[in-house]
Amino acid sequence: MPPTGSDPARMNRKKGDKGFESPRPYKLTHQVVCINNINFQRKSVVGFVELTIFPTVANLNRIKLNSKQCRIYRVRINDLEAAFIYNDPTLEVCHSESKQRNLNYFSNAYAAAVSAVDPDAGNGELCIKVPSELWKHVDELKVLKIHINFSLDQPKGGLHFVVPSVEGSMAERGAHVFSCGYQNSTRFWFPCVDSYSELCTWKLEFTVDAAMVAVSNGDLVETVYTHDMRKKTFHYMLTIPTSASNISLAIGPFEILVDPYMHEVTHFCLPQLLPLLKHTTSYLHEVFEFYEEILTCRYPYSCFKTVFIDEAYVEVAAYASMSIFSTNLLHSAMIIDETPLTRRCLAQSLAQQFFGCFISRMSWSDEWVLKGISGYIYGLWMKKTFGVNEYRHWIKEELDKIVAYELKTGGVLLHPIFGGGKEKDNPAPHPHFSIKHPHTLSWEYYTMFQCKAHLVMRLIENRISMEFMLQVFNKLLSLASTASSQKFQSHMWSQMLVSTSGFLKSISNVSGKDIQPLIKQWVDQSGVVKFYGSFAFNRKRNVLELEIKQDYTSPGTQKYVGPLKVTVQELDGSFNHTLQIEENSLKHDIPCHSKSRRNKKKKIPLMNGEEVDMDLSAMDADSPLLWIRIDPDMAVLRKVDSEQADFMWQYQLRYERDVVAQQEAISALERFPTPASRLALTDVLEQEQCFYRVRMAACFCLAKIANSMVSTWTGPPAMKSLFTRMFCCKTCPNIVKTNNFMSFQSYFLQKTMPVAMALLRDVHNLCPKEVLTFILDLIKYNDNRKNKFSDNYYRAEMIDALANSVTPAVSVNNEVRTLDNLNPDVRLILEEITRFLNMEKLLPSYRHTITVSCLRAIRVLQKNGHVPSDPSLFKSYAEYGHFVDIRIAALEAVVDYTKVDRSYEELQWLLTMVQNDPVPYVRHKILNMLTKNPPFTKSMESPLCNEALVDQLWKLMNSGTSHDWRLRCGAVDLYFTLFGLSRPSCLPLPELGLVLNLKEKKAVLNPTIIPEAIAGNQEAAVNPSSHTQLVGFQNPFSSSQDEEEIDMDTVHDSQAFISHHLNMLERPSTPGLSKYRPANSRSALIPQHSAGCDGTPTTKPQWNMELPRKGTGKEQPPLEMSVHAAAAAPLSVFGKEPASSKHSEHHHHHHHEHKKKKKKHKHKHKHKHRRDGRERGRGPLAFPSPAGGRSARSPSLSD
Amino acid sequence: MADAAATAGAAGSGTRSGSKQSTNPADNYHLARRRTLQVVVSSLLTEAGFESAEKASVETLTEMLQSYISEIGRSAKSYCEHTARTQPTLSDIVVTLVEMGFNVDTLPAYAKRSQRMVITAPPVTNQPVTPKALTAGQNRPHPPHIPSHFPEFPDPHTYIKTPTYREPVSDYQVLREKAASQRRDVERALTRFMAKTGETQSLFKDDVSTFPLIAARPFTIPYLTALLPSELEMQQMEETDSSEQDEQTDTENLPLHISPVRRQGTSQGCGEGTAGKVAHPGRQGKKASGGGE
Repeated sequence: MPPTGSDPARMNRKKGDKGFESPRPYKLTHQVVCINNINFQRKSVVGFVELTIFPTVANLNRIKLNSKQCRIYRVRINDLEAAFIYNDPTLEVCHSESKQRNLNYFSNAYAAAVSAVDPDAGNGELCIKVPSELWKHVDELKVLKIHINFSLDQPKGGLHFVVPSVEGSMAERGAHVFSCGYQNSTRFWFPCVDSYSELCTWKLEFTVDAAMVAVSNGDLVETVYTHDMRKKTFHYMLTIPTSASNISLAIGPFEILVDPYMHEVTHFCLPQLLPLLKHTTSYLHEVFEFYEEILTCRYPYSCFKTVFIDEAYVEVAAYASMSIFSTNLLHSAMIIDETPLTRRCLAQSLAQQFFGCFISRMSWSDEWVLKGISGYIYGLWMKKTFGVNEYRHWIKEELDKIVAYELKTGGVLLHPIFGGGKEKDNPAPHPHFSIKHPHTLSWEYYTMFQCKAHLVMRLIENRISMEFMLQVFNKLLSLASTASSQKFQSHMWSQMLVSTSGFLKSISNVSGKDIQPLIKQWVDQSGVVKFYGSFAFNRKRNVLELEIKQDYTSPGTQKYVGPLKVTVQELDGSFNHTLQIEENSLKHDIPCHSKSRRNKKKKIPLMNGEEVDMDLSAMDADSPLLWIRIDPDMAVLRKVDSEQADFMWQYQLRYERDVVAQQEAISALERFPTPASRLALTDVLEQEQCFYRVRMAACFCLAKIANSMVSTWTGPPAMKSLFTRMFCCKTCPNIVKTNNFMSFQSYFLQKTMPVAMALLRDVHNLCPKEVLTFILDLIKYNDNRKNKFSDNYYRAEMIDALANSVTPAVSVNNEVRTLDNLNPDVRLILEEITRFLNMEKLLPSYRHTITVSCLRAIRVLQKNGHVPSDPSLFKSYAEYGHFVDIRIAALEAVVDYTKVDRSYEELQWLLTMVQNDPVPYVRHKILNMLTKNPPFTKSMESPLCNEALVDQLWKLMNSGTSHDWRLRCGAVDLYFTLFGLSRPSCLPLPELGLVLNLKEKKAVLNPTIIPEAIAGNQEAAVNPSSHTQLVGFQNPFSSSQDEEEIDMDTVHDSQAFISHHLNMLERPSTPGLSKYRPANSRSALIPQHSAGCDGTPTTKPQWNMELPRKGTGKEQPPLEMSVHAAAAAPLSVFGKEPASSKHSEHHHHHHHEHKKKKKKHKHKHKHKHRRDGRERGRGPLAFPSPAGGRSARSPSLSD
Repeated sequence: MADAAATAGAAGSGTRSGSKQSTNPADNYHLARRRTLQVVVSSLLTEAGFESAEKASVETLTEMLQSYISEIGRSAKSYCEHTARTQPTLSDIVVTLVEMGFNVDTLPAYAKRSQRMVITAPPVTNQPVTPKALTAGQNRPHPPHIPSHFPEFPDPHTYIKTPTYREPVSDYQVLREKAASQRRDVERALTRFMAKTGETQSLFKDDVSTFPLIAARPFTIPYLTALLPSELEMQQMEETDSSEQDEQTDTENLPLHISPVRRQGTSQGCGEGTAGKVAHPGRQGKKASGGGE
């Protein structure tokens, strides 16, 4: 469906700043993806894509597309063979033989590499040359159809195959495959313009085994059997313009459920899980109704599909008209705890359907708008579904999270603008990664980014009211709907892209309010506010003197100027005051309304109009103040440390009706271990009307207070009598009632109280015997036979309680832990754990919660010295084939062991798993856990910190993780935690400053030293133009393929792999040629990157025209030798070689380098005659540049 | 063999003695029957004019005879059951014989043949005694209005109500205590048994028996065991809530190729209803573990 030949670029220009300027010199209007063969056994995919594009510039002569891992066989444009080059600098970010090991250098190089293929910068890994026959056609801006045949073999990212190794056909085994990835990762499974800003309509065809179902975006038009009836082809059509990044696929023997409430919604799950699917999705229609109602907009797509798959990359992934969920979200009606979580996931994915899938973003810096809106409307749904308390609690939780993160690791910037002159040179808060591109972000940062985005949306709502807010969303949606229905007017489609400026403009149009200061504060700037509040009551003036200080010098903070609400609860009522926070004013006088004389017997009005009786004896007789709250509505992203007397906190806890205030009071009361605090907490704990999460928090606070007051504590252990009263039998108080979890609030309380009680300690800092017996009795008398709900979470928490009761063993001169000297209490605990863990084998609990708790408890026992510390048990549970929760729990224990016992062996085991585990989630999680609980840190001496480890991790992030952005960023995080930004201290200093380049007969700086100088240069790091230099400099083009014959695993995604196979197939192509491109850039600092990629035909002669390459062997036949011969001195082909040869003894253990060298020699002679043949055929101009797109542009070669 | 013998016995002599009660009388009975058959065979041989026979041939013929009679018995039983009766009638036997290719008409003549030898019935040496356990107390004599040919009253314990003076254990605390410890014992015994019989892991290197952990075994499809409710839970659901009926049947019909361990566990651990089943392996396990400790 090609649109009319109007010129989108011109249209954009007309619209001015609001319009969308495509970074690409063409407009994509339609794409066909056809996968005609999927082999589960070999985990391979064969297919083609066809892109319909309209050039927007006359001299378009090359087209850059995104493609990773794919093996590309053939490219045709309008049925003419087209030459192409495949080059992916992200495969290996820095040269493998570089001795450079500092993170600064890496992250700059990585950022440069990512932007070198960033579609939003008009780049791509795959560069296709428009055949000269079509130039005239192009000049008339006529349609081009690019047809690409590709295949994918054992993809390591993008598409995930799950193939259980049991008997039977693939369908019987429950084998399935699905697309996955972090941000725009579609390029991993088919060539496309992998940008959120390039929208087009789609035709998707998947031919699969007849027993399988292919689920993809858009409407299922038809399914056609093949002639032999063995296979089916699913034809999907997506007529709403959608970016490639929102295209997804799931194929498997799914069970299908048409939603009984909404027939346009279909659910898919793996075999045998249909009953769970029915229950889990039975709620979804309500979410639909809610969103459609508040947005006053129909769900934009004609259908919606949910697919539940195993080994999910993330729990929830939203794609156009389809969401992919983890199968572990499914649950039966008996499960309490998972239900709200799963519903939240469903609601989240649905919110993203509107904002994120249907409405896409113009650029990465607009991502916050989408995440913000979807998070915000999801919040509204939460408020409606779970109530205001839950909502406010959630907001507080999110706020605390973002505040903690920013204060700990530096600011989160929502709207990063680059190249703009303003004070954007915000001293980069995250020095170890670049925030300019989603693919360079730490995952944790990205989660926090999303969290902040929705909080900021809430701030905007506070400013302009919810009504206007929803109007803005409605406006965005209706604009997009109109645009999407313009089938043949692709230039209109940019209306479906949201930008920060467009969004802000809508807000000001709709509300008429200026929210610029708010945006400047929270969106354009990073950091949160840190308030310190303290007050004094001036009796004479009857004035409250409030002092509010700010800390805006610590990292992650910023200064706040503007209004701030303070609520003062006085005897006569609650009063709001809006203070103006200015530069230098710290003190604020707030007049009080009440006389300090107390009117006895008068009820005290609260904020919500309620009037209550209070016992006022605790308060200061002179002051009418009950409590003071700074920013009660959380209208600022802040942390407030406010000072109040203990009785004020107690009043706040008892009488303030806002759950946030109650929680603040609880956390403040930890500092006041007095009988009065105890009483207040106990009262709250008992109060049925009180929000259950507050009561749960009160449990833990009470435990802490009790421990602080241990010497003066009277009566039974804290909470025991309360628990007995609430949950035990009247006649026999030591026996718990049979379980009845009908009231969820008491259920959660019943679960939590023992866990908190187990934290109690007596004067010897041991868990009181009474408490332990109590918990053991709870376990013993637990009886779930009459219960409608499963008690697996409850039992798991009982084990957690047992673990909490464990205190460090008294060790007599480091004796070995054996059974004989086992503490009798521990023996009882161990008895329970053993029984529970064994029973799990026979009667597994939902999600194996009990196993998870048992493993954690065993680790606690090990750590406290009761049981010999030994990782082997955990390692067996961490194996692939266990349920993922179990694996994570076990891995966490191994990570902890690695840290405590400083075990190199376990660390290696973990790192091997990071590289080899089949489940991406587990790989991410290991890195994440190692980062959270590192075996050592940069400021620590550790025997683990050695050169081999540095090299290993370096290799991991440099080339080992190129198939998964998130994994690579995780590796970078770990590297940062372990070694910091600069060169790891355990490495020897580079001995030589100068290296003699023997080949070129000139001396160059030792590469291990130069970049440090460059990296230190902030200019280079910030200015994008110097980035290109850096790219050239570091030569990020991969050499990882050097290992191809040795290690097939690491090569699958590399260009070498592709070229290797291409050569085997004796197909003419260029991608492989990028291998062994001249590493000129290392020795000569020539800015060469992307100079010629703007479409100017300067380098035409370099392009490879389908050389009839006679593959002489299986060897990758790179032509570097020929190039070497041809390209004379100034840009040495092997500029890098001298460096490594110089260091050859030193490097000996870096076997990859070693191999590489050997290999080169191997290639040498081969290519000699190769080149001859080629030259005979094509002449010098036609020989393909081994450097791929890049060296193609280097002047020396084009001569 | 024992089974065939029992059937033959039932068909041949028409009496089903309580041979199952103990093994020794059964052996005796077997020998006695064997002997009788040998006598029959020998007399038939004599009748046929043989003067002597080798032991082996007599044995073989005995065996054949026994098989023949057994077959008659078995078939007759089938025929009678086929017509929904429990006692074979003459016609059953006749049909059986016909079916076996025997000309029934010749039978009366053969039975009345002149030269036949009459064998005396074997002396009943040890009439199996009805076990004592079943008779308790004195059977009540018939009241006057009941004719004496009517069957006797059953044992008094089957109908006499004796008021008990000790309170049955209805104390909640004790019941809960009992239920808890019973379940705990069962679980412990069962897991110990599993641990004894399978691979284990241990937390202490020097001691593998005190806290044996059943070894972790990966599943091929781990999510199935993790997500699907166990049969026990389904059963509970059924008891507590019948509104989810269709859902349950769906799950119950699932092909269970999940894991043998799980199935075993679920069927064995089904609470009180199947406590007996659970107890069985449990007992052994306890015995074994008792030895270990």
